[in-house]
Amino acid sequence: MRRRSLLSILLSIFLIGECAGMLALLSISAAGQQVSKVVAFPLKAKSVRFAAFGDNGTGGQEQYDVAQQMVRQRVMFPFDFVLMLGDNIYGSDTAADFRRKFEDPYKPMLDAGVKFYASLGNHDNPNQRLYKPFNMDGKRYYSFRKENVEFFALDSTYMDPVQLAWVEKQLSASTAEWKICYFHHPLYSDGKFHGPDRDLRARLEPILTKAGVSVVLSGHEHFYERLKPQQGIYHFIIGNGGQLRYRDLKPSQDIAKGFDTDRGFALFEVAGDELYFQALSRTGEIMDSGMIQRAAAPKAP
Amino acid sequence: MNRCVLIAALSLPFIASIASAQGPPTPKDTAILKDFETRVSAYMKVHRAAEADVAALRKTASAKEIASRQAELAESVRAHRPAKQGDIFTPEVAGEFRRLVAMTMKGPNAARVKKSLKSAEPVELSLKVNDTYPERAPLQSTPPTLLMNLPKLPPELEYRVVSRALILLDVKAGILVDFVPDLIK
Repeated sequence: MRRRSLLSILLSIFLIGECAGMLALLSISAAGQQVSKVVAFPLKAKSVRFAAFGDNGTGGQEQYDVAQQMVRQRVMFPFDFVLMLGDNIYGSDTAADFRRKFEDPYKPMLDAGVKFYASLGNHDNPNQRLYKPFNMDGKRYYSFRKENVEFFALDSTYMDPVQLAWVEKQLSASTAEWKICYFHHPLYSDGKFHGPDRDLRARLEPILTKAGVSVVLSGHEHFYERLKPQQGIYHFIIGNGGQLRYRDLKPSQDIAKGFDTDRGFALFEVAGDELYFQALSRTGEIMDSGMIQRAAAPKAP
Repeated sequence: MNRCVLIAALSLPFIASIASAQGPPTPKDTAILKDFETRVSAYMKVHRAAEADVAALRKTASAKEIASRQAELAESVRAHRPAKQGDIFTPEVAGEFRRLVAMTMKGPNAARVKKSLKSAEPVELSLKVNDTYPERAPLQSTPPTLLMNLPKLPPELEYRVVSRALILLDVKAGILVDFVPDLIK
């Protein structure tokens, strides 16, 4: 994990060149030591660009810092919408709370026409589904499509047989090349405090794998974690949009990348068969990046 | 029809494993569950009558309107239903739910369900029928395997876990409809 330090001022040098068909960005330390290779966004025409975070609605300064960093990033990476991974409004949910925990911090993005698509977390009043700026259309779970990507926002706090049947039906009917599911409770996690929701995994994962879901985004754990693919699905936990559980990640062979020392968010670009991602801290440091190649669609039985 | 088939297909492995361990429901079990359904239907009549007396909850950009209309609906339900614990979960119904929950908590998936409950941020609350679920308290997620083994509810109602109790929550009004204490073990 990289940390900011007075002694190691990072100089970012852009190396413009072909590297597997994309731009490569190298971060070099003051001592000249290469610290990481960052996969940059291709910013292709008609690509699907979005941001994601969870556990954001605290109303605290850190949430505002994340929001401001997102606005700064949007100048370079103009994303169109944001996926909210639950715990959108912590504590009370009066009009003043919605203002302090959602409308004010994200005002520059809301004013710029960025849409927010929420899912429900365990700290959320289910009637948030009626709040128009969350774009839930009055539903606890729903789907929407952008170009070649279909997004499925699920309610992991109440995965009853009706919702499971809905998920299976909607996923199997989807003709999108990319199917991305997002919900609050992670199916896999290396958090010490919560850990994975094993029963949810047992019921939901077979449906997701059968339908060819590529990516799952979750929150609940107050850190960032990207796991090595599990049953062919890439899992991201981005539960540090406002909350933080400091150093809560435990060592695990399943971790592809983890970041548990500050708040942050993630950016995504789906360009054809490639999905690019970057996870950023609230100070703008790129903590993780990469590209996922879409797997071939599962064959019909 | 398709949805029913799908739900049945999803439930089959679990029901089969339970049936082998616990045996199928007896006619008495079936009658008690029918009584539960009747009581839930009666509650929904009250809920709809209460809803008719207040401004409807609807999609809006006003968080203030959502909060105030939810509170009005809760007040209206209370006015229509001076209830006490056990009105829906009668001793017989509570006993049947103990049997159903025990299938999950002692069956082959028990360890997984218990871990799931633990990871879902357990909640401690003092429970009182008709009280508003505290907005500052999280809603603990209910394990899907547990939900698969409980009677189906209308969309306005949900089973939720609070500590060791199973509660019936009116999610629209945000109020506690009834509960069975000390059920989740």
